[in-house]
Order: sequence, then C-alpha cells, then structure tokens
Amino acid sequence: MGIISIEKVDHLYWLGRYTERVYTTIRIFFHIYDKMIEQPEGIYAKYCERLNIPNIYTSNKQFVRSYLFGEENPDSVVSNMKRAYDNAVVLRDELSSNVLSYVQLALNTLESCGKTTAPLLELQQAVDYLLAFWGCADDYVEQEDCRNILKCGKYVERLDLCIRLDYHRKDLEKEYQKLINRLKKTSLCYNEENLNRLREIIFQEDGEKIHDQEALCCLGGLLS
Amino acid sequence: MRELIEHTEGINRLMARFGVKFGIYKNGEFHEQLFPFDAIPRVISREEFQKLEKGLIQRVDALNLFLNDIYGEKKIIKDQVVPEEFVFSSSGYLPECEGIKPPKGIYSHISGIDLVLGKDGKWYILEDNLRIPSGASYPMIAREICRRVSPSTFSSNPVVDNRNYAAMLKETMDWVNVGGIPVIMTPGRYNAAYFEHSYLAERTGSELATCSDLFVEDNQLFYRDYRDKKQKVGVIYRRISDEYLDPMTFLPESLIGIPNLMDVYRSGNVAIVNAPGNGVADDKGIYYFVPKMIRYYLDQEPILHNAPTYLPFYEEDRKYVLENLEKLVIKDVAEAGGYGVIFGSGLGKEKLSELRALIQKESRRFIAQEVIDFQDMEVCEGIDRVWRKADLRAFVLSGQTTRVWPSGLTRFSRNADSFVVNSSQGGGFKDTWVLSR
Repeated sequence: MGIISIEKVDHLYWLGRYTERVYTTIRIFFHIYDKMIEQPEGIYAKYCERLNIPNIYTSNKQFVRSYLFGEENPDSVVSNMKRAYDNAVVLRDELSSNVLSYVQLALNTLESCGKTTAPLLELQQAVDYLLAFWGCADDYVEQEDCRNILKCGKYVERLDLCIRLDYHRKDLEKEYQKLINRLKKTSLCYNEENLNRLREIIFQEDGEKIHDQEALCCLGGLLS
Repeated sequence: MRELIEHTEGINRLMARFGVKFGIYKNGEFHEQLFPFDAIPRVISREEFQKLEKGLIQRVDALNLFLNDIYGEKKIIKDQVVPEEFVFSSSGYLPECEGIKPPKGIYSHISGIDLVLGKDGKWYILEDNLRIPSGASYPMIAREICRRVSPSTFSSNPVVDNRNYAAMLKETMDWVNVGGIPVIMTPGRYNAAYFEHSYLAERTGSELATCSDLFVEDNQLFYRDYRDKKQKVGVIYRRISDEYLDPMTFLPESLIGIPNLMDVYRSGNVAIVNAPGNGVADDKGIYYFVPKMIRYYLDQEPILHNAPTYLPFYEEDRKYVLENLEKLVIKDVAEAGGYGVIFGSGLGKEKLSELRALIQKESRRFIAQEVIDFQDMEVCEGIDRVWRKADLRAFVLSGQTTRVWPSGLTRFSRNADSFVVNSSQGGGFKDTWVLSR
C-alpha cells in the first residue's frame, strides 16, 4: 500500500539492527571460541571491553553458556535474538509469514541449542536461518521502503560493530558505503552533520587512527 | 488420512515455525503458547453442512435484525418478546450507540457461533459471539500445512477448500467500506489473539494498526504514515473491545483507543467491523431469546436448537434451577472464555447452597443449562488415541449476503473429564472438513 506507520519504521529499523547483531556476534564468537581452546582463561575480557558490555563472566565455560544462551543476561546472543523477534512479530503484514518464520526459527534454534552438549554445532543453523531471513526479505517484502529501512538498521549495526571491534579501514569504508546507499533511498530523517563527520573519520588519510568513540557517537546520533 | 495423522508432530513443528500461537496471562505475566493441533479432522458431510448453513444464516440474520431494532425502534421490546430488563441491564448494551445506523445496516459482520453435536445427532448452539470472535486463522493455516504434508489425503477426499476465509473477510470489509483503506486494529502483540490479527492483516492486504497509528481529523479517521502523509480509513476491523474504542465516549481513563472515533462512526464516515454495541445480542441472558427472535423477525421456525436453557429471572425457571442445580451447568452471563462456568455435579453441599443463595439474590446474573451429552471426538495423544469433548465455532460473514465459511474451528479439551475446550484453558484444535459430495 506504500504507507508505513512511525511505529513500524521503528520496528523495521530495530529488527535490522538486532538480527545483524546476532549474526555478526555469532560469527565473531566462532573465532573467540576457537582461540579459547589453547589460550588461557579470560580471553573474553577484551571482547567485552570492546563491545562495551559488562564482563560478568567467571570462566571461559561460563562465558560460552551465559554470553550465548543466558536468558537472564541482557547482553547475550539469545536476548538480542528475542529483541529481534519482538520487533519482527509485529511486522507480519509488512514482512509476510514466510520472512517472519526465519526469525522464529533462528530464535527456536538458539533457545534449543543452549540445552545440547555441543551447542556450537547447532549455532551454525541459527546463522543459516538469519541469512535465509535476509534473502527471503529481499524476495518477499514488497515495499522497497520497508526493505531499505530494514537494511539501514542492519548496516548501522554492522558499522557500529566493525568500529568497536577495530576492523580494517577498508571494511569500514565498505560498510559505510552500504549504509549511505540505503539511507539515501529512504525518507528517514537523519542528521546530516553526523553523517558528514562520520565520513571524514572513516575516509581520513591512511595511517591515522580511527577516532572510534567519535565515530560511534556520530553513528548513534545519526537517526535519533 | 493415516499419512496425515502420522505427521501430526511435523505439522505442529511447521505451526511453530509460522508462530501459530496464542497469548495467555499467568500470574500477571504474558506467555505465548503454541496452540496444539490434532490432525484427525472433524468431518461434516455435505448434507449436514447445508442444514447447518441454513440454520446459521437464519440465526445471524435474526441477530442482526435484533441489533438494528434495539438501537432503533425497539419493537421487540414493545411487543414484549424480549423483556427490557434483559436488554438495558446487559453490560453489552451501549446507550452511546442509540440511533446509529452502521454502513449498510450491518452490525455483526463476523459472527462466531459455538455449537456442539449431541449424542442424539443434533447440533446445539451453545453461544453466539458477535463482538470480536477469534479463531478462523488457525484452521486456515492448518489446512495449508496439512495439504503440504499429505496431498494424497486431500486428493482422495472431497474436502471443500477453506483457505478462502481471508477473501471472504476482505469482501465483507469492502462491502461496508465507506471509502478509504482497510485497517485491522490490534491492541498490540500482548493480546491473546495477536497471531490472528497479524495473519489476517497479511492475508487480506489490510494495514495492521495499533491505536497510536490512527487519528481523527475533520470528523474522518486517518492512518498516519512516517513521512507525515495520512491515508483516510474507510473500514476498521477492530480487535479491541467496545469500551476501549474511544476514550472520549467510553472509558476516559483508558490509554488506548482513538479519541473521537465514535463521532466519525456516528457520521457514517467509517465502518467499524463488528459494530460497537453488539454485546447486547450475544449476552448469555439474551441467548435464551434467540429462537423467539427468529420467529419474530423472520416468521420462521428455528432450524438450529439452543441448549435447553433456564432463566432464574423467571420464577418458574428459578424454582426448577434451584431444585435441580446438581444436574445443571450454571453460567455467569458476565464471563467469557470458559470462565464462570460451573457444573452443579462438581459442587459439594456447601458450595451448592452458596450458589443457590447467589442465584436467588442475583437472578439476572446467571443462566442454567441442561448438560448436553455431546459427542466425543478422537484425538491423538502420543501414540494412543483417546476420546475428548469438542465443540465447533462456525464463522458466519455478513456482507452483501450472509455466508457461512465452509470450515470452522473445532476445539477440544485435552483433559479426559473436562467439557471446557477453550485454548486459554489448555485446549487444542482440529481442522474442520466440509465434504463437497
């Protein structure tokens, strides 16, 4: 119908952010988990610091359980997936039942694989469902504006994580460009000043260190 | 059919994937639960359905005429067919709706009529739901999945396709639309039937809106777009109760609802599906009078039967109820969803005498019915098959014509000794097949 309410815009944007947060953190988690095999306890401390989440963990083993599947842990992957679901479930008419089902499946998988003895085996399935969600959204979400808002959320989140996790400048440039492409296609109101400053920070001369706190600040205030 | 039943678990898995759930509040907390599906269908023959269809259309037409009359001339009261005490003391009667003519004169666009099949082979009507009856989406999506799981079951059985419910609903909404977009209004995702709201919005192509998305301006209802554009709404299928529709008319303390919606409706600038004020016609006390309404408005004999019902309001009935309380089922007219239903046989002496006193004191508050020994249905329980009580909610849509959806929601009790089939009380559901030959 070409009309989207303010409330739905908000849900679309945050659905994009939370699904991306879950997707990217699981992928990063696979690397951390691998390093944990040989490295001493506490390797997760730096990761927590970078993501600016409280380090409430007491051992590698407890980190794996609580960070991935801790339902009481607001920073856990499963808690973020629940927030994605909360935003998705009110968008059935925009997304379609088919698209929504992949969010439901990813949540079901995360909830159930926490109870298995080799949780990371099934974690891959959750990643696959999230990828299917994005593919399906491209195919089934009829309104271009909806898709663009959803992807704005996705790329804001990805850029945020890339900055926090100290990704290479080339990666940041790439993600920034993806965000801009989507943002310009929507009718969302954004802060032009923040956008320009973000561009300056990301595209500054090689060799200069990224001002990550300032970049995060610009990104955080981009759409508020 | 065997193939279909063997895949019950797989079907339920697919239901979970599509979020076929209902919400329930326990200890003040919201929980989403899957609605358990049993693959053994209720089967209704063509001839049986044709009879049901006639009876249901007759009943709903009479109920719509009753609503037109009650909020208009009140001839049925003047002619002493229905006592005014039962109308004006009903919590569903809304004086604010007096004199309003809804678009095309239709009050109950979607009627959910609950029936049971007695052991005598007759269908009995248990209650009429004319406010916001829910449940059609469940058999709709179940059929979609069942056909996918066991196509041979459907190629070898002449089952009428029930997936046209959304199309029927859309036609009904379009018929009363006064010009503008169609909207399904939900109180939000923490409503028990939220799955249905969102699924029907998707299937009918309506906008799913919460109250904050809608506003009144210049005596018109609008849907607010995020780009600050507005779209006029021509029909609103509201899934919230009457009292929360408009805080300017009903509950001023309500934080939900659309201020001044009733003014727009009164001016004929929007159709509300179902119309506000319908509660007066599906009141459990008014139920007793529906056969009389059919005779009064249509000059016909009722095709479908009410369960034998007594009104303690009448002295003769009260005497019978008080003397036979042990074998009757007592219903509190103010309750719904399976609550407020008391089986006399389950009460001890002390509770029976307390109930007798209450009935004497508040005779208008209760109705009493004979316990209908309705047919059990076969239900899968693990690898076993067991027999359970089940009812049928038939959906009747009133638009250009009155039509019965060729299916329905069959709900069953999951407890061996229970007559209560409501999902909120742990019941499950089945598909309802209507055969084409």
